Amino acid sequence: MALKETISEYRRPLLGVASVVGLTLVWEIAYTYFIPLDPFFFTKPSLIGVAVKDQTLSGELWKDLAISSKAFLWGFSLAVIVGIPIGVFMGWRRRAEYVLDPFLTALYASPLVALAPLFIIIFGVGLTGKVALIFLLAVFPFIFNVFAGVKCTDRLLVNVVRAFGGKEKDIYFKVILPSILPYIVAGARIAIGRGIVGILVAEFYGASEGIGFAISRFGDTYRLPEMFAAILLLMIMAVIFTEGLRKLETILAPWKIGQEAR
Amino acid sequence: MSPDPNLITRHTGQSRIERNSRALVRIGVSALARFYREREQPILGAGFILLLILAWQSLPAIVSLPRGISLFFTTPVEVVKAFYRLVEANEIQSHVYVSALEFIVGLGLAIAVGFPLGLVMGRSKVIDAMLDPFITAFNATPRLVFLPLLMLWLGIGIWSKITIVFVGAVFPLLINTYEGVKNVDRVLVNVVRSFGANEWQTMKIVVLPNSVPYIVAGLRLAIGRALLGVVVGEFFGASKGLGFMIATAATNYKVDVVFVGVTIFMGLSLILTHLVKMVESRLSRWRLEEAKTF
Amino acid sequence: MAPCIQATNVSLTFRPKNREPVTALREFSIEVATGEFVSIVGPSGCGKSTFLNILLGLLKPDAGETRLNGTQIAGPGQERAMVFQEFGLLPWRTVLANVELGLELKGVAVAARRSRAMELIQMTGLAGFETHYPHELSGGMKQRVGLARALATDPQVLLMDEPFAALDAQTRDLMQAELLQVWDRTKKTVIFVTHSIEEAAYLSDRVLVTSARPGRIKQIIKVQLPRPRDYEMRLSAKFNEIKAEIWNALKEELLGRGAGNGT
Ligand SMILES: Nc1ncnc2c1ncn2[C@@H]1O[C@H](COP(=O)(O)OP(=O)(O)OP(=O)(O)O)[C@@H](O)[C@H]1O
Ligand SMILES: [Mg+2]
Repeated sequence: MALKETISEYRRPLLGVASVVGLTLVWEIAYTYFIPLDPFFFTKPSLIGVAVKDQTLSGELWKDLAISSKAFLWGFSLAVIVGIPIGVFMGWRRRAEYVLDPFLTALYASPLVALAPLFIIIFGVGLTGKVALIFLLAVFPFIFNVFAGVKCTDRLLVNVVRAFGGKEKDIYFKVILPSILPYIVAGARIAIGRGIVGILVAEFYGASEGIGFAISRFGDTYRLPEMFAAILLLMIMAVIFTEGLRKLETILAPWKIGQEAR
Repeated sequence: MSPDPNLITRHTGQSRIERNSRALVRIGVSALARFYREREQPILGAGFILLLILAWQSLPAIVSLPRGISLFFTTPVEVVKAFYRLVEANEIQSHVYVSALEFIVGLGLAIAVGFPLGLVMGRSKVIDAMLDPFITAFNATPRLVFLPLLMLWLGIGIWSKITIVFVGAVFPLLINTYEGVKNVDRVLVNVVRSFGANEWQTMKIVVLPNSVPYIVAGLRLAIGRALLGVVVGEFFGASKGLGFMIATAATNYKVDVVFVGVTIFMGLSLILTHLVKMVESRLSRWRLEEAKTF
Repeated sequence: MAPCIQATNVSLTFRPKNREPVTALREFSIEVATGEFVSIVGPSGCGKSTFLNILLGLLKPDAGETRLNGTQIAGPGQERAMVFQEFGLLPWRTVLANVELGLELKGVAVAARRSRAMELIQMTGLAGFETHYPHELSGGMKQRVGLARALATDPQVLLMDEPFAALDAQTRDLMQAELLQVWDRTKKTVIFVTHSIEEAAYLSDRVLVTSARPGRIKQIIKVQLPRPRDYEMRLSAKFNEIKAEIWNALKEELLGRGAGNGT
């Protein structure tokens, strides 16, 4: 009785877990007993599991991850530092919007990764090149989300603060900042994905270390289990970050839940 | 336009010709000012872009660039020249053809899969619950991580690129369709059902129209992901295509050719985005004018 | 002759997931004669909307039965139509297309349904707004569309769930007068849910006062005022007596809830 109720209450997550486990099992069994594909080109969950264990214990993958993370953090922080003020400025000053909006929108809509080869030959495959590329890709979500946030700031609240004797500084910190906070978080969520694209492209391109390099080297050397292990690790991290930020968004702005498309 | 009589009478004491010409200048200036005021937004926007291009063009004339930088430097005029060279040599056409093919087939497949799957997931709780972990994981991770794997499997022909375009574009389409179906107003479903509509009619009359804005938004995202797939896919394993052209040009320090490729991609994505926006505004005439947000 | 609508001992309990079950209706019974205008007033949450949805065929009662002209109600059907409180207009359809909805689902040919819809648009005073979208209309106009849509299929029974609650006082008075005119002309059987005692007294032949949840009929008040009724009649002593009678029946239920035995 109690079990039945628990099942119906957790039906959704249970079904999810069941389908993940089920797929893993089917894959394992099919590969082992029925369709033994060329191990150079394919692998199975148990081997991936071993690879995950080896790679994470030996610390090889962690080293690559640490190198990529460093570049990511630099590029991402620069994007925050540059993107937010530009967004606020564009949202708050009408003429700034007129001047900057078409140019920046055009850049945001374009596949700027196309510039990656140029960045790499100019800045090299080391930290600088990666940071530059990550910054270029990650800055726009911040600019445009903050811009939208400022535009949606309730002018009435601004007047309320003014009426109670608030200064320019109070308006920024008591009205604008709190109301754009959820937008910043939403921007960060989008920027994370674009930042990872930046890392991958830069490191696929000819780096000698980093997670992207690891994935592409495992591919070149037909070490499929290791490759899947690296991809899995990256996926887990991406899910933790994006879902975490999504949670944060709903905490900061519960009224906005599920409004914007992913 | 006839001169304002008040304008003339205020200037007695001057010769008639002088008066008239002054008045004309004034009218001209005020007309110009009004022209500017009415179109301030596009003038400032286009002006800034023109200014940037001009500055870029004239930079080498103003400051002499150090050797290390001039190697990587090009000007807009050089880029245009390079474009004509490539067109005359019949080179760019074949690159564009391959890239366009990969883009269209990949995106087409993504639409053909993502849209129906999104509908089904929106209506069936079981399928939704079962697919959700996969979709969350794949959507959070840029699908470019699979590029080396796809290269391994499919080689450097167009199919590896079509597949990377497909996996890039399918998730935004699927998820947005799903959200559109999920966010349908219960009252409206009840209304049509109360008039005796069956499941299929409910779908056609309420669920689908309700998801149109979501689907179009998903399409816009999908176009971006698809272009990304084409570009990056061609960087790392192709023998044709605009991405390939950019990558080879970069290794040979042909910066002008790099910018030709980049500009074509920019132009394409701007045109496509604009088209989708046009479709969007056509299809959503019934919606309240809302604040445009990202 | 069988009554037009007959509900006997209807009970319904909602069992939402992860929540306590809520008994919305327990042994709820009414009879409504053909062509009669009946109002239901009762405390909020006592199951009035639930009851209308059962009559409409969107909800199935746990027990009891509902009959229309002596036949069991098994699902939605075009002899019944609802006017919803929140209008329920399809935002992507024009006024005309919204009014056509029921006819379209009935399979009426385009030309025929267009002329029928235009007829109702005329009747409800919406002429000239056929190509407008719902967001371009005022609240009163939206509800006219809701009424026109419900009438378009020429149902025998009109179910109205607080149709005028979202309107301002003047528009509401106007809509009440128009509803009476339409009713006079079409002779529909109407079940009208409202929170306004005045509205119930003004429109109805009978007013059913229901108890707090789970809802049951507490008292039935006959409104013996001559028809056609006009606005002046609302000032008469007789009208105020009827209002007082409804209020007295309702008062205990509302106060009961206030004392804490509700929810
Ligand atoms: N789908 C549902 N799931 C769970 N509970 C419901 C559902 N619909 C209604 N209820 C509950 O049933 C009770 C009756 O609801 P109903 O909407 O019929 O009330 P009502 O008399 O129309 O109230 P009001 O006058 O406020 O419109 C309420 O307590 C409500 O919370
Ligand atoms: Mg109700």
